[in-house]
Amino acid sequence: MKVELTLNQALATIKAQPEGVSRSKIFLVCGFQPLHLATFLKAHYALRFPDRAADVLEGHYGDLDGTLAVATKSDATAAVVVIEWGDLDSRLGLRSSGGWGLSVEADILANCGERWARILARLEELASRMPVAVVPPTLPFPFLGHTAGWQMSATEADLHKQAAGFLAEAARLANLRVLHPSRLAKVSPEASRRDPNMELAAGFLYSLRHASALAEQLVQLLYPPSPMKGLITDLDETLWSGIVGEVGVRAVCWGVGEHAQIHGLFQQQLRHFSEMGVLLAIASKNDPAVAEEALRREDLLIPGTAFFPVKVSWGPKSQAVAEILQAWNIGPESVVFVDDSPMELAEVGAAFPAMTCLPFDKRNAAKAVELFEQLRDLFGKPAVHREDALRQASIRASASIREAAAQSDDGDFVRALQGKLTFDTRKSSGNKRLLELINKTNQFNLNGVRIGEGEWLRHLEDECSFAVGVAYEDRFGPLGTIGVLAGRQCGGLVEVTSWVLSCRAFSRQIEHHMLEYLLGRPGVTAIRLCFRPTERNGPLQEFLRSKGLDCGQPGILELTREHLHTQLPHEARTLE
Amino acid sequence: MTDIESRVTTCFANVFPDLPAEEIPQASQESLAGWDSVAHITLLSAIAEEFQCELDTEFLETLSSYKLIVEFFEARSVNR
Repeated sequence: MKVELTLNQALATIKAQPEGVSRSKIFLVCGFQPLHLATFLKAHYALRFPDRAADVLEGHYGDLDGTLAVATKSDATAAVVVIEWGDLDSRLGLRSSGGWGLSVEADILANCGERWARILARLEELASRMPVAVVPPTLPFPFLGHTAGWQMSATEADLHKQAAGFLAEAARLANLRVLHPSRLAKVSPEASRRDPNMELAAGFLYSLRHASALAEQLVQLLYPPSPMKGLITDLDETLWSGIVGEVGVRAVCWGVGEHAQIHGLFQQQLRHFSEMGVLLAIASKNDPAVAEEALRREDLLIPGTAFFPVKVSWGPKSQAVAEILQAWNIGPESVVFVDDSPMELAEVGAAFPAMTCLPFDKRNAAKAVELFEQLRDLFGKPAVHREDALRQASIRASASIREAAAQSDDGDFVRALQGKLTFDTRKSSGNKRLLELINKTNQFNLNGVRIGEGEWLRHLEDECSFAVGVAYEDRFGPLGTIGVLAGRQCGGLVEVTSWVLSCRAFSRQIEHHMLEYLLGRPGVTAIRLCFRPTERNGPLQEFLRSKGLDCGQPGILELTREHLHTQLPHEARTLE
Repeated sequence: MTDIESRVTTCFANVFPDLPAEEIPQASQESLAGWDSVAHITLLSAIAEEFQCELDTEFLETLSSYKLIVEFFEARSVNR
């Protein structure tokens, strides 16, 4: 949600921050005077994280290159890099008198090409040490070109082409995110971004409104909200046009010829989401047999099998939603419900106040497109991992496993899974999966502590630290990386600061193997777990209590070999 | 305190959060250690935003104290 801040409000926000809050260092890399942009960054950070504060580090005026190098060596845990045309060639700013005439266009072009390449190299180094948000030029060129202002000159087009090439390379770098120019244009129209008075008087390029909007977008880019995990959709007049129980299975439609294209677009978006690993389910008031037959149509733009569970009945939708949440084992705050009926949305919203309930407006394509953009914002994430493609299938498998486990002896059943575990001890700043797991797992989570990307990279740099990803597969299929152990080892003592296991991997005794792994590390005699009870880590507490440990209070829990399971069911190997 | 004084005081309090309220009316670029060039631009920007006006660059150097800023806006309001 856009938050508009005036400069005075931003200053008051910073002033109102309580003393003693934890502080994060953000390096603001720019070639102009940071001035109000630094102020707005601090303020928007304070709004995003009311219990924290940002110290914004700055570099040298007019020296983007040098400031990038300083930022790379700094102890900042995040960086914002704002590039304007004047940083690439001073003749493209208002404070230089070098000019932009025909005689120098080729030189400007060549100079900018070299500068982009140098900046990209510096950014790669910076992004290896901390998450980086990059802003491509937001201001227009000053008067470059022989054409009238409404016609783009070839030189201008070439400059934009260079910038686009740079952004395409930059967007591929791990830990680096590029601000989307289209989103910035929505919140800060191009015509009102520049403040020539301030640029000439003080070297600060932006209007206050643009600086505030830009800072807000940058904080969102660096610290995005956790993406939603699941989407539950209605069928009639939502997934398709028409009421299947009335018109029949073959008559519901979703194509442009039937004036039902927005339903087709919605199906395409859901298909995209399923490829990203978003869980999809259906909650519909319908005849189950009719709905299932319609979902078997081969011309659906998303196959019916992509949805699990499919809850079709004449009962309240809140009941269907409750059953879906149970099957997924996730909380309503991570789920979006989409329906064309305001009544159904209200009913589900009342039963699950934390769920995001969004209307599908079948009569208004503009509103539907807005919905799709909103869904992109809710579910989008910086990286998609191999595990994301496995998620839906593993949820189905978990349901089968729970069913089978209920009917057999627990030990025999788990051994019969033929599970294989891989403990990957290689520390890699490009592997985002481990941090994602630490920050989104709630139930089997040692202490609920969330770690910023910058802090995680610092942890990996520590020679005594470890960060182990645990991957699992069995005869039901692979789950990918589903667990993390992180902490420090000094001599024979291992201190575990993060221990998480995805709920998809429950009921397989993997947690026992994880303890075995830790105590099996060379020289280790004891493990110290930095435990804290949270509202949601009941399953972890239950496991620790089963080991005879007291989970009543936060603190250090010590384990030795005596606490270990005697017979572990799976094969395990270690990658180093 | 007049409306103009109150609004200028708020801007000063925002830009110089450590300055005690009773010292604001005596604040000047000469007397206040933290009133450097960055603080000066920030202060004048905050004041221009508060009064919804643009300050010509000629005033960047002359508006160097609380008193001068208040007088400037009082003169503007009389001349309207």
